[in-house]
Amino acid sequence: MKETLFLKNTEAFAESMIRCGIRCHFAYPITPATDVMKYTSRMLPEVGGRMVQMESELAVSNALAGYACAGKLGATSSSGPGMTLMQEAIGFMAAGELPCIMLDAMRVGPGDGDIIGAQSTYYQATRGGGHGDYRVIVLAPSCGQEIAELMPHGIKLALTYLTPVLFVVDGVTCQMTETTTFDEPYDYTADFDTSSWAYTGTADHPKRFLLTGSYTHEQGYEMNERMRRKYVEISENEQMWEQEKVDDAEVLVVAFGIHGRMCKDLVESFRAQGKRVGSIRPITLWPFPNKAFESIPASVKSILVVEMNHGQMVDDVRLAVNGRVPVHFLGKTGGDIPMCTLADMTREASRLLEGE
Amino acid sequence: MQTLADYYGETLKFDKLTSYCPGCGHGIVTRLVAETIESMGIREKTMSVVGIGCGGFSHHYLEVDAIEAIHGRAPATAIGYKVAMPDHVVFTYQGDGDTSAIGLHEIMHAANRGMPITCIMVNNSVFGMTGGQMSPTTIPGQVTTTSTKGRDVHIHGYPLLVPEMMRAMKGVAYLARETVVDVKSINRAAKSIRNAFECQVKGLGFAFVEVISPCPTGLHLSVPDAYAYAAKETLSYFKPQIFKNELEKSDEV
Ligand code: SF4
Repeated sequence: MKETLFLKNTEAFAESMIRCGIRCHFAYPITPATDVMKYTSRMLPEVGGRMVQMESELAVSNALAGYACAGKLGATSSSGPGMTLMQEAIGFMAAGELPCIMLDAMRVGPGDGDIIGAQSTYYQATRGGGHGDYRVIVLAPSCGQEIAELMPHGIKLALTYLTPVLFVVDGVTCQMTETTTFDEPYDYTADFDTSSWAYTGTADHPKRFLLTGSYTHEQGYEMNERMRRKYVEISENEQMWEQEKVDDAEVLVVAFGIHGRMCKDLVESFRAQGKRVGSIRPITLWPFPNKAFESIPASVKSILVVEMNHGQMVDDVRLAVNGRVPVHFLGKTGGDIPMCTLADMTREASRLLEGE
Repeated sequence: MQTLADYYGETLKFDKLTSYCPGCGHGIVTRLVAETIESMGIREKTMSVVGIGCGGFSHHYLEVDAIEAIHGRAPATAIGYKVAMPDHVVFTYQGDGDTSAIGLHEIMHAANRGMPITCIMVNNSVFGMTGGQMSPTTIPGQVTTTSTKGRDVHIHGYPLLVPEMMRAMKGVAYLARETVVDVKSINRAAKSIRNAFECQVKGLGFAFVEVISPCPTGLHLSVPDAYAYAAKETLSYFKPQIFKNELEKSDEV
């Protein structure tokens, strides 16, 4: 039976992962992600799971790696600086082809930043914050409902491609309380057989060992090639985005997360005035939805990218557009007002409509 | 005729030469771990989590599932594995650099958490794999590539006594410092390693064994001299002893 709950979106993340079959959550307190662990510490034991509070994000992410080795899908949740500490193990899990689900309740940087919500970790999330040629699948839901809807998909991606999957939600959205309708509980993790690779003891398989470095140069080359092929496949098949009124648009507004959510209202109010504004909201940040930009119509004169940072995704939009149309940027971060308002977005889009 | 394989069974692999330098104490400690696993009959449900450094290759010689964890983080990885597989046996095999420098944080919290896992720290008082730099356990006066005039405690601090730091922790069920510098000590080390695994199987708590071991290469000494140095100099600072043994209590029950 479906159930509608009134929750903070951090709690919606926790509720979604529990409903979708995740039974272990490793975490360390950090604002504004802490509500996830408060929720799972209470709710996971009721379904036979547990929240394991570790002594640091380093320990969290490595325990998560150890858990994943056994062929089980665990989760973690953190925010900006916590994610920075986790990068080492995330790279390790990517290289070791170990799946997990993570939440970055994105907050402002650089350094330790502030607890204010932001989208400052776009680069870190999409480029692989650790060393080496690896990527992590990044999903950017814009509300609690979308978190709930993307969770089964995230689990599927993690277990299909054997890779960490990261949900990035800005801290503002994470702290919003709204209604979310959840599907009936279903263990999506059980749909995947991990017995061919999991480290579960040699009773039913010959010895397995996980090396994330290369023991020989040849093996290292082979491993990197295998990773490259996997990332090409993900890029080809797993791009997701939502778009509004693109077909005849003169100005396209591109934003993810909370700004992406605001685009609906923005486009509607422009269209009510007969002005041809459309929008694209990337849902996967990696792979970036290049396909959304491949066929933008000739009517598009310019693109406005709106972010809660000083311009990070705008680079990917420029790469996707490849010089065909001018790409402009509007962004804000830090301070008490970390985001662009609808009025800011309206003003900038209007200027572009007028050809300024 | 009895072969080595007859004696060590399936756990210790003989099909390749080890990467340890001739005379390295790691060879002995790895064998002791293999003997323990074999004699306890737990091979098929045992998982090794190894650290970075020469000891990181130990799993190449053991027929158990294994992973190489990131620098120092093996105890956290072992905890995650134990949460997933509580009925399995998981042990970390780490050097002194991995355990007491970059991984001190993880090992201390693992000890204090008291989850039944087994951690073996092979302490040769030097960073072996990276070419003989000063480690937290380098003894006063010991010359290394980064303490070229010998470790000066006023500049470099004192050697870190890891089991002594754990002694007061209630989560620790078995705690010992052993060595492999001579036959008698090797026999005692064998017993402690066995106890550290038994402790886990009985679910009593965290078990830790520090094994003082010579690194002839890092010490720039011949094998006999390296053993003599460890026996005299290193052991003068790191006294072998059993700090804690909850097995005794559990056996009484
Ligand atoms: S460098 Fe030292 S610790 Fe490493 S294998 Fe050689 S002797 Fe053993």
